[in-house]
Amino acid sequence: MLVLAIGLAAASVGWRAIVTARGLDDATLQAQVAAVAGALATAPDGSPRLALPPEMAAAFQAVGGSSVFVIADAARRPLLSSDPAVAAQLAPYLPERDGLFRVPAFPRHPEGMLAYAVYSGQWRVAVAQTREQSEALVSSLLDEFFTTGLVLLALIGAASILIGVVTVRNGLGPLRLASAAAAQVEPARPGLRLPEAGLPGEAVPLVAAVNQALARLEAALGAQRRLVGDAAHTLRTPLAILTARLDSLPEAPETAALRRDADRMARLIEQMLQMARLDGMPLDVSQPVDLHVIAVEAISALAPLAVRHGVQLALSEQTNIRPVTGNHAALVIALTNLVENALTHAPAGSLVEVILEPPARISVLDRGPGVPEAERSLIFERFGRGQASDSTGAGLGLAIVTGIAATHRGSVRATGRDGGGAAFALDLGTFA
Amino acid sequence: MRLLIVEDEPDLGILLRDALVCAGFATDLVTGIADADNYLRLATYDAIILDLGLADGDGLTLLCALRRRGGMLPVLILTARDAPEDRVTGLDAGADDYLIKPFHMPELVSRMRALLRRPNAALGVVLELGNLVLDTAARQATVGSTPLVLSPREMALLELLLRRQGRVVAREAIEQGLYGFDTTLGSNAMEVLVHRLRRKLAETGAHAVVHTLRGVGYLLGEPV
Repeated sequence: MLVLAIGLAAASVGWRAIVTARGLDDATLQAQVAAVAGALATAPDGSPRLALPPEMAAAFQAVGGSSVFVIADAARRPLLSSDPAVAAQLAPYLPERDGLFRVPAFPRHPEGMLAYAVYSGQWRVAVAQTREQSEALVSSLLDEFFTTGLVLLALIGAASILIGVVTVRNGLGPLRLASAAAAQVEPARPGLRLPEAGLPGEAVPLVAAVNQALARLEAALGAQRRLVGDAAHTLRTPLAILTARLDSLPEAPETAALRRDADRMARLIEQMLQMARLDGMPLDVSQPVDLHVIAVEAISALAPLAVRHGVQLALSEQTNIRPVTGNHAALVIALTNLVENALTHAPAGSLVEVILEPPARISVLDRGPGVPEAERSLIFERFGRGQASDSTGAGLGLAIVTGIAATHRGSVRATGRDGGGAAFALDLGTFA
Repeated sequence: MRLLIVEDEPDLGILLRDALVCAGFATDLVTGIADADNYLRLATYDAIILDLGLADGDGLTLLCALRRRGGMLPVLILTARDAPEDRVTGLDAGADDYLIKPFHMPELVSRMRALLRRPNAALGVVLELGNLVLDTAARQATVGSTPLVLSPREMALLELLLRRQGRVVAREAIEQGLYGFDTTLGSNAMEVLVHRLRRKLAETGAHAVVHTLRGVGYLLGEPV
């Protein structure tokens, strides 16, 4: 836009220069005509007599015929001239009144001529100039303009572009910061607001309104999360009563089934709480963590379950595990969920193995039915239980693992195993 | 053994009391901090089961007051709050154990027994699992009426496992408990020791099995 404007300005200045050069031409011709007319007198015989000052006469000779004066009578017959051949060509075009006129092209001057005529007594006096000469003046003026004027104009243009850019940058810098802040807004960081400091006055109401909208959304999100957390929390006491009552019943197959149902509900509520907690607060993942300790804690927590299921649970550790930072409690929850998932699917008598592998991977391997390839991404979604699963999974465990992996800049994925079963790999981002 | 149960949810309180009475404890049930305070002044208890969210305040207030008065009796917190920071706060306030609702009654009873067995809680403790009995004062183990002949190290291992029965005892804990820091351990010394204990338990027909969690530790439990 700016460049276009500068281009237009340059073109108009150029055009003005050409027009001015043409105007100068006219003025020169006029002056020359006036000088010639002034030096004209009438001889006693009635013929014109010209007494040009010597330097002027020389000038008419010197320019080599490109500038020509003609003195003609009323019948346009040339009487006196600096170049009779040209005068003969010019005479027929002498105008009726004082003024500028053009002489069409003729063999000596294929460009034609520009001339000015005045009436001086009974004579017509004209001075003609070749087109070449006029063009030469224009082109020299244009040269001048392009070499000095345009360079100057370009400098001015560049400077104004620079000043414009700097001004816009400075003025819009705070807006850029606000945009960057807006890009960071997500459910996990509902407390983010756009910075209002240093904004151009026109943008302040917009940014303030966006911040107020964000505050309202944060409040709504908080309320929703509290609802999930509170609901899960409040359900615990009645569930404790249910569990205690079931525990007080005499042993029977129905009682055992009811206990399993209650346990499953308890597990789901626990996972909802974990989820609400993970969603609700930012996790500090900057502490150095020991994957061995995490694995021991998770395995120890689930050892009684493994014993009840008759499943072997083992930990093996490869060397060169890279030190990682993270959140110990969250990683224990993640691994516990993976191991619990494996135990749920592992047949009695089989082995569930937790392996620590470099650079910073925790794998959980089971000999269950495995995860069909089509379901391998589905199972990590909330309540996205695979079809192959029996109904004991609560449906949030693996989603929680995904969430925890993501906050650790890591990933979790499921693959198959040679010999059958599933392999879950939790890779942790390694921090500098 | 006399326990005080502080639980403001009436149904749960009654179920707790019934289960603990059934397990052989004498119990009193109160529903608030004020009542609990009165009972603690009037009678001598061996342990408290304390709910945190009570109608007339936070159970932690009671716990703090108790510890300030120098009361050393074991306290097991029973709560619906399970955030790690809640757990830390509870244990910092002087709780000995922490059980999250919902819980299984047998788990609560066994944790309660474990608390009462703590070295400073009582001396000459008798540890039991099924038909296996270990008298820690007399250093004698029996399965039913059959004496179980164990080396001192096997005895120490059995005691360690029995004290945390049903839960994993980490290899590191066994190493420290049995060998001290000076002894360098052969690579499979612990495996050999566990193998011998396991064989003796099986030979005498004990209803107790040492489960191996390879790479982690051991768990003593009843056979599946």
